[in-house]
Amino acid sequence: MATQLWVIILIGAGTYLLRAGSLVLGSRVRWSESTKKWLSFVSPAVLGALIGPLLLLQEGKWIPLANNSMLFAAIPTMIIAWWSRRLLLTVAAGVVFYAGFHALFG
Amino acid sequence: MNRLNRSNRREEIQLALRDALPIMLAYFPLSMTYGVLATAGGLHEGIAVFSSVWIFSGGAQFMLLGMFASAAAPVTIVSTLLLLSMRHVLYGATMGPYLANWRESRKWLAAIGLTDEGFAVISSRATLGNVILPSYYITFALAIYGSWVAGTAAGTGLGSFVTAELAEVLTFALPALFIALLAGGERTLPYLAAAGCGAVLATLAGMLQLGGVGLIAGGLAGATIGHQISRRRSERMNPVQPEGNSERTMR
Repeated sequence: MATQLWVIILIGAGTYLLRAGSLVLGSRVRWSESTKKWLSFVSPAVLGALIGPLLLLQEGKWIPLANNSMLFAAIPTMIIAWWSRRLLLTVAAGVVFYAGFHALFG
Repeated sequence: MNRLNRSNRREEIQLALRDALPIMLAYFPLSMTYGVLATAGGLHEGIAVFSSVWIFSGGAQFMLLGMFASAAAPVTIVSTLLLLSMRHVLYGATMGPYLANWRESRKWLAAIGLTDEGFAVISSRATLGNVILPSYYITFALAIYGSWVAGTAAGTGLGSFVTAELAEVLTFALPALFIALLAGGERTLPYLAAAGCGAVLATLAGMLQLGGVGLIAGGLAGATIGHQISRRRSERMNPVQPEGNSERTMR
């Protein structure tokens, strides 16, 4: 138990220091225009990197497209998102779509 | 402080809670699952809750359970998970410039909210040209943090008062949130190419069981590709292009 506690303390401290350290340093450094422009593309790139595995993989394995109810639900969700540009509406509609596809295909 | 400022602050807090709500809805059952799995795996209840309070990183905590179960050496666990957390450096470096005028102590408080999902929302707001105020960011960070801790506590203590069925349906809140953020951002070829590249690389990395490396590789390569395409395009179209369009909003 003591070992587990120490492992948790070290990971938590390390994670927080990485978050806070880079945030504080990042706020002090004067980035060049080109770097700023590059940094503005980190956000969509990370969004894509979060979405891809969530929709396509389950525990690191490819989900066959015909059985992938998340992917099915993602299509109408994208349409709502594109059309409405509303965060909460899109999330609510997406969850309803997913519940529907999940009930239909299991 | 005058009345105008105070009502602004109330608006900021409302906006923060509205932005945090999808994440809170997604975090709660996820974190509850963590609590249930942790205690089922033999972790003391108090330690399970403490790990959510102290670490606040879903990816790291679930991997931690797996590594405790496989009895990995403590040094291996710590070094692997800190490697996984290196992706936060990318997030911090991206968000830092938007907080340049903040008081130092507030930056340290805001850092709590720099999870994958938190970064996704806040950086999308910032890239759209919204000014990120401390009242907004810190409210947002504490709201998602609270949901995460409460979820673990519920999972370890009361078993499950969210049914398995409901928890399963709510797992879609996260991909839906990311889709909404992507569609609410810029809809230009460079942005979409950055997202596509990130998605492909992270999926490949996931299939190779590389975990958090996919987010770093996808983030770095996607940003570079997006940046390159946008540079080529602006060179071709017109050499001097006015930047930024604060008209775009996302509600």
